[in-house]
Amino acid sequence: MAEIAPDIFFASITELSAKLRAKEFSCVELTRAFCDRLERIGPRYNALALSLREQAVRQARDVDADLKIGRTRGPLHGIPYGAKDLLAVKKEPTTWGAKPYAAQVFDYDAAVIERLNKVGAILIGKLSMIELAGGGDYRTAAASLTGPGLNPWDPTRWSGGSSSGSATSVAAGLTAFAIGSETSGSILTPAAYCGVTGLRPTYGLVSRRGAMALSWTLDKLGPLCRSAEDCALVLHQIAGNDIQDPGSAGRSFNYTPQYARKPEQVTIGYLPVDFEDGAEPSAQAALRAAFEVVKSLGVTLKEIKIPDFPYGAMVGTIIAGEAGSIFEDLIRSGRVDQLADKHQIAGLKAMLDLPAIEYQRAMRVRSLVKQGFRDLFLNCDMVLTPSRLGPAPKAAEPLDTPRPPTKSRESQIPGGNLAGLPALSLPCGLADGLPVAISLLGRPFYENQLVAIGNLFQKQTDWHRRRPPVRA
Amino acid sequence: MDLSRRQLAAVLTGAAAAQAQTPSDPDLEAARQLQRVAAQTIARVPLPMTTEPAVHFKA
Repeated sequence: MAEIAPDIFFASITELSAKLRAKEFSCVELTRAFCDRLERIGPRYNALALSLREQAVRQARDVDADLKIGRTRGPLHGIPYGAKDLLAVKKEPTTWGAKPYAAQVFDYDAAVIERLNKVGAILIGKLSMIELAGGGDYRTAAASLTGPGLNPWDPTRWSGGSSSGSATSVAAGLTAFAIGSETSGSILTPAAYCGVTGLRPTYGLVSRRGAMALSWTLDKLGPLCRSAEDCALVLHQIAGNDIQDPGSAGRSFNYTPQYARKPEQVTIGYLPVDFEDGAEPSAQAALRAAFEVVKSLGVTLKEIKIPDFPYGAMVGTIIAGEAGSIFEDLIRSGRVDQLADKHQIAGLKAMLDLPAIEYQRAMRVRSLVKQGFRDLFLNCDMVLTPSRLGPAPKAAEPLDTPRPPTKSRESQIPGGNLAGLPALSLPCGLADGLPVAISLLGRPFYENQLVAIGNLFQKQTDWHRRRPPVRA
Repeated sequence: MDLSRRQLAAVLTGAAAAQAQTPSDPDLEAARQLQRVAAQTIARVPLPMTTEPAVHFKA
């Protein structure tokens, strides 16, 4: 039996795929080793919702049989991954991170799970999340059925949410990649806090069939990985039309780096304050250095202004209008009181009082937001921003504890989500020993170009290869 | 159960009074207030009458 070296747990998808094909180890050996690690280390960070070892090893045997006869199904064939526990997996509990749904079981797989199954990726576990993806306005990291998501870089810090376990599992080498979801910040934030690369796709690019709905017009599914290229390899497989998802854009994504524009042909917009003294003091040096690296890639950098709208209020109102309807039964039945976070309970209850006129106003102003970003992208191809303005907060403190004051605003997260735009978060340094990241925000369906620039950035830096101090 | 209009009115008045006496949940009140403030903030954005919502029904 081949020994799985510790470095393997931090290898890229391409590296793992090459080693599987070279028969350095079998898929069963790789899968068992990842399962051991996920089951041993995952609970330490409250990252694991459910181990799927048995079905994973069964799948791995099939992959080994395929490989033995030289049949491969692409770069994800035999790669162990994890999925946020809001994705249905047939006949297994899907808790949505929330006590009222702890015993919920579906008899079908979510579309992304189906698609990854088809290309031979091995689902080894379901990963923890903030209860109901945090739609009720949670205020504590402990707002989860599995407890607070702890950060592998420092377990006193939060992993970020709501895709907490997805980011932690990739950062700590417990899965080769993970699937998360974002309504407003739930991929980019944990990716940034845990030092992994996260890709929020354009709204409608990835089918949400079989995923918990929080906001029909904002929800998106996307990958958290070790690199921009890995994100593209996963997106290539999970994107595509789905007639059963009313939000489906009817588009696919082909990872074609050869067709991306050269950096000299790319204009990146930015707000100077973001890379001067706009962020929290501890993060400023890392962000300034990242900006210099981006500049060195040969792109044209251009000062821009982000359209000015009350993004936070709009996201809150739209989620209230949609989640209030989605979870109406939970709220009216009183089972909502079983949730872990009292603010989340109150937030969900208050949703039932939102007048329709307020929801419609927010959705109409959202049309202006979309137009504002369309105008912005006439002047640049993408926008460079900090992913978050500082490192992960303490897990034990309320999440609304005041942070150091900043001149910059984090408007690209709610703004980008309201406009349905894709974004790529790239680790870019450390602040007080904790990861800090930059984001590239693009026009709709511009993922190939975002990944191309992300790739170039990651060829010049090694922040995405840094590992947290996790005990084996 | 048959109730006269007068009896029904008495029941409803009693229920309303009981509801009024229920101590309000300060977290729920705070959440409602947050929702109101958000609505007021959005209402300050000039909105042309012709602007349709960002999502359309597809037949």
